[in-house]
Order: sequence, then structure tokens, then C-alpha cells
Amino acid sequence: MSELATALVFWPAAILMVVTGLFVFITPSMARAGLLLLASLAFAGLIFLALASEFLGLLMLLMMSGEMVIMVFFMIMFMPDPGGLMGMDMVHEKRRSATVAASIGVALAVVAILTDWPVRLAGTDAPDVRAIGFEVMGRSMVTFLFAAMTILFAMVGGVLLAKYGGRFGLGAPSGEDRGGAG
Amino acid sequence: MSNWTPFAIVGVALVGAAIASLIEQIVTERRLAPAALVRSGVETLRHPLSRPDVRDAWLFHLAPFLLVMAAFTAVAFVPWTSGFRGIDLSAGLIGFAAALTYVTPAVFMAGWGSGRAEGVLGGFRWLALMLAYAMPIAMVTTAVAAPAGSLRPSDIVEVQHTVPMALVQPLALGLWLPAVLAVCFLPPFDLPQAEGELNGGAFSEYRGFDAALIAFAQKVLLVAASGMTAAMFFGGWNGPVLPPGLWMALKTAVVAAFLLWVGGRVPRFQTDRVLSIAWKLANPLALLAIVVSGLLTLLFYR
Repeated sequence: MSELATALVFWPAAILMVVTGLFVFITPSMARAGLLLLASLAFAGLIFLALASEFLGLLMLLMMSGEMVIMVFFMIMFMPDPGGLMGMDMVHEKRRSATVAASIGVALAVVAILTDWPVRLAGTDAPDVRAIGFEVMGRSMVTFLFAAMTILFAMVGGVLLAKYGGRFGLGAPSGEDRGGAG
Repeated sequence: MSNWTPFAIVGVALVGAAIASLIEQIVTERRLAPAALVRSGVETLRHPLSRPDVRDAWLFHLAPFLLVMAAFTAVAFVPWTSGFRGIDLSAGLIGFAAALTYVTPAVFMAGWGSGRAEGVLGGFRWLALMLAYAMPIAMVTTAVAAPAGSLRPSDIVEVQHTVPMALVQPLALGLWLPAVLAVCFLPPFDLPQAEGELNGGAFSEYRGFDAALIAFAQKVLLVAASGMTAAMFFGGWNGPVLPPGLWMALKTAVVAAFLLWVGGRVPRFQTDRVLSIAWKLANPLALLAIVVSGLLTLLFYR
């Protein structure tokens, strides 16, 4: 893509990414929060695409859609006020967290500006790109697989614990509606 | 990709949606009445936009646009002919799958935004269904990409110039067809709208332009899904005598007609039944399809 096209995608996507990311914590509705986070991450995927990183950008768009939709599912399932009708607030300890967030943001921006970034372009067959590929698909694969299984077990465990009767699977007391389609 | 590609893609989507509607008429009603199609379209558009007492108007009114955007993006990734390949990226197949995944939040937004019990129920059904079929779609794309050694759709078409992938990997095709039929929320997977059960479900509150957008997006999705099926499994534009573009159009039309014909003859799946089949049968079989594809690649495609 030309520099103009890159800039035309990059800057709007970057601004929208930050704005939607911010609104995740402003909206009281769990459905909106999850979908705004999806929008924010999708804009991040567009930034990857604008910077000509096709595979990562498309993969980000693909994975984040599925994952954020699952997250919306879980948030609505577990939160006491999924629709935000009771004016729930997602932010606690406002002043302290704002201070921490702002100072970290400033620090990261300073680092990003002051760092002497390398200017060379790495081709697809550059030695370090190849090395990363072999590392990810080789030795580190077991680590990734293990992490993935851990996340899966955590999700299944979370659902089991949230179920009525917890992990022991106790039945509901007699005469009480267990909810669901039953 | 030239400056005209976006316009060409929109053109393909518009013409394709019209043809898909005619095919649907022939297949489901056994008659061809373009005038009736235009009449019903005009009638839908003349209906004023609904401003129902929706809980979440933002999500409610954004959903049709997201749906149309996803459908158009999916069409853009289909390699139509050797001269017109849409957005021809080296990871195009991932792009196609990514475009399809945005149907899910769109339908959920429609259902949740309407704030009606039927709508929310339709949206949640759709989420559950999508989580079940997303994995077979991703795994089948992997299985088809492996023999070509590339995720670029046009490479996958070119690797089939002797034998179409449907003959090599019938298992992958068998998993792919129901999955793409489900993406288009066509019967028997019309769980989110479920006429006669949920009264339109996730889309029950849409009128006028919104309703027309959703019906249009569904047709465009069908065009994209049939086109990609033709490209991935039936050799795309490869064929004797006829020009390549015509071959691709014919194959796409046949796949669309087949999907509509079979779908119209199967009763709607119950949600728990289809989830059980998807997780216990389709997902393990999709893993098997990857193994088969790996063996085939090692034996014949290297």
C-alpha cells in the first residue's frame, strides 16, 4: 500500500481503537462493553493490515471476533446486572487507578519517543524472522499448547463452579425452580 | 488489485444477490417471478424504519450494517476468475473466515438490541451455534490449504487444475457445506430467526430499510459462501471450453441451488441437537480431516 493509504487507515483506526477501548470502561452494559472491546481489537487488527502485516492482522480479526463474543457470553452469564439497567460502574478506586494508568501511559509514550528505533526493513526471509518462526513452531509449541489447555480447563472449571451446587453437582432443593428450559 | 476492484466487488455482490434470490424462488417455490421479487423488495423498503422500544438502540441499528459489511468483505476474498481475484492476499482464506465470524456479533447485536425475549433468545442461540461451527470452518480451511501449501485462495484454485478438491477430500466438503449453510442462517440452521417458533427472533423488530439490509446481507453471504465453496472444492474457474468466469459463475450457482434445495427439505434442527452433533461429531471429524489432508499432502502434493 502507498504511504497515503497506510496513513488513511492507520490514524482513524488508531484513534477509534483508543476511543472504543475507553468506552469499554464507561458503559454500564456488559453486552456493550464486550462488543466495544471487540471493536477496539478489530481496529487493532486493521492497524496490522495497514502496516502490511496481513497474516497477523487477519488472524487478529478472526480470533478476536470469536473470543470477544465468547467473553460477552460469559459476562452476561456471570454478571448480576448484564444489561446495565441498575447503573453498575465498572471502575473502582477511581482516582488511584486513573493516576496509575496516566503515569504508565506517559512513561510508555516517553520510552516510545526516546527509543532509537532501527530503520532497516526485515524481509520475509530475514534470519531473525525465520528464527522466530522456528522458535514458535518448534520448542515453544509445547508451552503454547499447555497454556491453551490451561485456559480451557479454567473456563470449564469456572462454569462448573458457577453452576448450582458447585463442583459437587448437588441437585437443587426439592420444589425449587432450577431455571433453564427444564 | 486495481482502483476499480472495490466497485467490481460491490457489483458482484449486487448481481449475485439478485441471482441468488431468483435461484431461491426456483428451488423453494418452483417458479420464476422476478416481478414478485421486485414487488416484495419495494414493499419492504416502503415500510418506515422501526423505532421500537428497543433496549439498546445503538446495537440494534448498527447490526444490519455490520452484517452487510461482513458479507461484502467475504465476497471480496473470493477468487472469481484468474483476471479478477478480489482482494488477493497471501492469507486470503483467513480473511474470508474472519469476515464470516463478524456475522456472529451482528446477529447477537440485533437480538440483544431489540430487547425482546424472542430476540435475545435468538441471539443467544446464534452465539451457541456459531461457537460450535466456527471450529469446523477454521479446520476445513486448514485442510484445504495444506495441499496447496498456501492460504491464498487463487493458489488453492490452481492446485485443483487436474483433480477438484471435492474428490480428494470429501470429508472436508461434508463438514464445510453445513457449516457455511449455518453461517448464512438459512434453514435448517435458521435458529436465530426461527419463523413460526420465535416469530423472527433476533430480526423480529426490523422493518423497512433495516429489514431489507438484513435480507440482502443474507443473500450476499450465500453468494460468498457458494463462491468460496466452488473455489475451494470444485476447482473454481478451471474447466474446458467455456470461459473461466462463466465456469466459476455456474459452479457458484449450482452450489447455492444445492444449499437452498437441501436446506429447504430438512426440518429445522433443535438447538441442543445441533450443538451436540457439532461438538461430538463434526469437531472430531474436522480434526480427522486435517490428519487426512496432511497425509494426502505428504503423499501426492509434494
